[in-house]
Amino acid sequence: MWFYLTTIMVYGAVDALACLGLNMEFGVAGISNFGYIIFQAAGAYTAAILSMPHAATSNGGFQQYVLGWNLTWPLPWIGAAIVGGLLALPFVFLVGKRLRGDFAAVGLLVSAVLLNLLVKNYIPFLNGDAGISIVPAPLQSIFDPQGIGYQLAYGAVAIVLAVLVYFFLRRITESPFGRSLRAMRDNDVVADSLGKNLRGQRTSVLVLGGMIAGLSGAVLVGFISLWAPGAWGYAETIVLFAAIIIGGAGNHKGAVLGAILVPLGFEEITRFLPAFGPPSLVPALEWVAIGLLIILFLWFRPNGILPERRRVLSTVVGRTPVEVVASSDDDDSVNIGAIDEFNFRAVLPTTSVVNDHHPILSTELLTKSFNGVTVVSDVSITIEQGRLTGMIGPNGAGKSTTLAMLAGTLSPSSGTIMFEGNDITHVPSYKRAQMGIVRTFQLASEFKKLTVLENLVCAIPRQSGDSFWGSVRGRRFWGADDKANIERAEEILEGFGLSQYADAYAGGLSGGQRRLVEIMRALLAEPKVLLLDEPMAGVHANLARKIGNHLTKLCEGGMTIVMVEHELAITDEFCDPVIVLAEGRVLAQGTMAELRANSEVVEAYLVG
Amino acid sequence: MSSFGFGLITAAVLAIATVGFTMQFAVTNVLNLAYGSVMINSAYVTYYFNQRGASIWIALFAGVACGSIVSWLLNRFIYTPFQRRNLIPITLVIVSLGVDLCGTFGLQGIVGGSYVSYTMSQGHEFHILGMLLSGVQLIIFAICAGVLILIHWLLKYTRMGKAMRATSANPNLARNSGVKTKFIISMTWIISGALCGLAGTVFAMNSGVFEATSAELYIVLLLAAMFLGGPGEPYGAMLGALVIGLATEISAAYITADYKEVIAFLVLLGMLAFRPYGLFGSEKTL
Amino acid sequence: MSVELTKQGLVLSTTGLSAGYDGRAIVRDIAVEATPGKVVSIVGPNGSGKSTLLKSLVGVVKVLEGHVTVAENEITNLAPEEVAKLGVGYVPQIDDVFPPLSVKENLEIGGYLLNRSEIPARIDAVLDFFPKLKAMMTRKAGKLSGGERKMLAMGRVLMLSPSVLVLDEPTANLAPMVATQLLEEFVRGFADHGSTVLLVEQRAKAALRISDWTYVLGGGKVVLEGAPKDLEQNPLFVESFLGGSAAARAARDE
Repeated sequence: MWFYLTTIMVYGAVDALACLGLNMEFGVAGISNFGYIIFQAAGAYTAAILSMPHAATSNGGFQQYVLGWNLTWPLPWIGAAIVGGLLALPFVFLVGKRLRGDFAAVGLLVSAVLLNLLVKNYIPFLNGDAGISIVPAPLQSIFDPQGIGYQLAYGAVAIVLAVLVYFFLRRITESPFGRSLRAMRDNDVVADSLGKNLRGQRTSVLVLGGMIAGLSGAVLVGFISLWAPGAWGYAETIVLFAAIIIGGAGNHKGAVLGAILVPLGFEEITRFLPAFGPPSLVPALEWVAIGLLIILFLWFRPNGILPERRRVLSTVVGRTPVEVVASSDDDDSVNIGAIDEFNFRAVLPTTSVVNDHHPILSTELLTKSFNGVTVVSDVSITIEQGRLTGMIGPNGAGKSTTLAMLAGTLSPSSGTIMFEGNDITHVPSYKRAQMGIVRTFQLASEFKKLTVLENLVCAIPRQSGDSFWGSVRGRRFWGADDKANIERAEEILEGFGLSQYADAYAGGLSGGQRRLVEIMRALLAEPKVLLLDEPMAGVHANLARKIGNHLTKLCEGGMTIVMVEHELAITDEFCDPVIVLAEGRVLAQGTMAELRANSEVVEAYLVG
Repeated sequence: MSSFGFGLITAAVLAIATVGFTMQFAVTNVLNLAYGSVMINSAYVTYYFNQRGASIWIALFAGVACGSIVSWLLNRFIYTPFQRRNLIPITLVIVSLGVDLCGTFGLQGIVGGSYVSYTMSQGHEFHILGMLLSGVQLIIFAICAGVLILIHWLLKYTRMGKAMRATSANPNLARNSGVKTKFIISMTWIISGALCGLAGTVFAMNSGVFEATSAELYIVLLLAAMFLGGPGEPYGAMLGALVIGLATEISAAYITADYKEVIAFLVLLGMLAFRPYGLFGSEKTL
Repeated sequence: MSVELTKQGLVLSTTGLSAGYDGRAIVRDIAVEATPGKVVSIVGPNGSGKSTLLKSLVGVVKVLEGHVTVAENEITNLAPEEVAKLGVGYVPQIDDVFPPLSVKENLEIGGYLLNRSEIPARIDAVLDFFPKLKAMMTRKAGKLSGGERKMLAMGRVLMLSPSVLVLDEPTANLAPMVATQLLEEFVRGFADHGSTVLLVEQRAKAALRISDWTYVLGGGKVVLEGAPKDLEQNPLFVESFLGGSAAARAARDE
């Protein structure tokens, strides 16, 4: 009976570790690692071959495997974690920015199948299909591994490891870095435009998840003493995904709950079922049950038993989080009066820049073609610092495409882009954001599962907690910095009259409100050059005017703004100079008055 | 040279499977990872009739029907409802994995884990151009080639085929032109499901012995062929299948047969890394 | 110009129409009417909901309140393919062709509702209308230039023999001369031959030149309407395009 308890302890801890690692990758960072099991397998094999004696000399040489260094515990476990982490590195190319999530997931799935096949068939590596057996238990030269005391201790150590990993992952997830990961999960293109290094973040998470998976493998193999390809087919990853989905993706407690219910629960239930039918029936039914559970949970309760918690950031005590389902009528209720008094420049760091209107951003013969169709052609423009430059033109003139190339979202087919004297044509978009080129998007782009405050704070650059190591150092390291950032975000939220939505999920706001959140977020990113893609579309006319006024004041304070707009009224009132694009080319540049005098422009494009 | 012959047969079967799979992706934008499960279930339906005395070539139709019906049911009652739900895209892939588990292991629960094979004669051996092929293999090749030509005719020359291609390119515009897209999508699943059922049965025939999990690895060859040609491109699928089919069999002659799928895997990973829209697709199609 | 390309027009009208995505209204309380033989245009700044309005007429966007009728038939929230059957032809602003299909196949899909035997004759009629397309019949639609693409998009809808033409910014992407030709020859021409034309245009002046009646949209509502020559005199109209959004403000303050 005691031995049964120790089995539960170890299996439970191993499953919890595995699920925690996968939850970090999938639930928090949005990486669908369908090949996760290979990291656990790598850890198990590593722990085995590190702790075993040399293959040829042990046990009559009936097994073939590499290494065999006969290391004592805890070295094999440490090695397992390291190998699990290293194995993640070659897969970074699959989860990099450009590949669709489901394609990347399938690539990882296929890799799991491939590696299993290779190990199964290439015997000298890891003893092929038979696997590695007689793996020594940790410290078995000192203690008797069959003794109940040893096994209880083993179980306890396993559980302690799981608990430590739980708290470690929580530390990372609750930090600004964790916030950035969740933002990346919700909308990676936007996170990138705010300066988040997607590839770097995904690499960190994959390595971390790999290490945890590797550790879980080591703990398991030390207990059961054998490991073979049959134990890590690609379907095992599906079991772990089921566990996380059922327990609650994104919530580490949910991951542990899922681990207990699914891998552990299934294993134990079948122990107690009377054997019925042919021997293959019960395992087959287990798989069917897992498949059914996945489908049922994704239909009825996709957020799992313990959904991801809302993070309440407000420093204002006693504010109850609002569950918002706003309608567009709310657009009219925005507290416009407050905006008039609101001093943007107080909230944003003073740009101690001399407003001399020097050329800050320019392009030279910028061209973009898709499949032989040229959308932007030989566009050469110069943006002067401290001005609110408008970019107008009919639909399809290439405005958004040009903006995207300035921001780095699209790469040009030819031509160059210069920023503050440097050639940034091939600089990736997140780096440009860090340099101070920030853009907004035409379509709604909030991080849906983050609160409004989280959306805003996320944009603030140079947060001490917004890196892997920063998050590891804990709240004591980044707490004060974060609090100051939250207060700044609260101020700007108050200025726009949306304070009551501070802790509401951003996905529930009305269209106009989401647009405002986006502008606030872009401002908090401390841009030197702010690229706005039709920011006033669908915004209440009065509000649009107020915002326009403040944008003008920001320019007086040194910010440079480029605004793609359709609404000629806005352009006329606030933008100077104005660039007119048509059919992918620059038709004219100048002040609105100059353009109005240009009959070509008037005839064709202003008022038709 | 004989491996070239095997390669052709493998390629023919793979082409049928891949074209069906890619059509489903084209029209629904979902990677139906339960496809392998439908294949093997169809193979077993054929087996069921074959065991009760039907000639394999008659029982084949039962398998095809099974593939058709099950695929249609899958889209109607699982994929379409889930798509309306507006969940993150990866959810549908996970759902398809769930279905795959149910289908494959449900089958295993019913029929057990032992290998079975069809009752059929292999026919005479033929020497053609240095290749040694059995009568059955030739018939399989003929069936597959014939069906591919039918698919080509369907897509290029029939009203419904053009409607299918229009629906996968721009469903809203298709509806504005009067196309009943719901019906077209149903038909696509019925037809691609038939291809799936056919592929499953001839795959089982070609393998000799099979059991419930035999088609598990097949999905990988299928994905390699699809991504090589381009996701959603039926003609790309045919070309991809030809390349992968030949490459795996020919490589088996030079490196151990155990590793022959490795080429397919490497091609798939390579395409995903460098050109996920395939040889025939372009950036915008994704 | 071939008469048979469009049928005798029907009346398209809406009353109290509100429509939008996800249950949120983008346009509200719209009353618009387009009658046979006339060009009715809808103009207004971006974000005013013009495209959404058109899409709600043909079943692409959900109508939340109000009614849409064609002749006496209620078509509110009718499926787009059914709307097409009634003879309403819609040309969207973007995604207006089937890129992987050839020009010929695009036209064939346009004629999906016709009898097999009628299609070749109609294709010939459309090609008479847009002769430039004749040389490109086998080219894939995705490889056409902007102007050629728009011609194909219009050609596709003509295959349907529409009684009502609903056009969303047909001159977007086109060079001024081509745009003028499109509007004055084709669009005006359709109406002159008896069909009903409802179009959304960004080039307000150009639209006014060919319209019989114009609605000005602002902030999701109709803020002005009238015959072009009256509108041009109306200071509110001029201001709404050249000055502040006074027209929109005025309407809101009512």
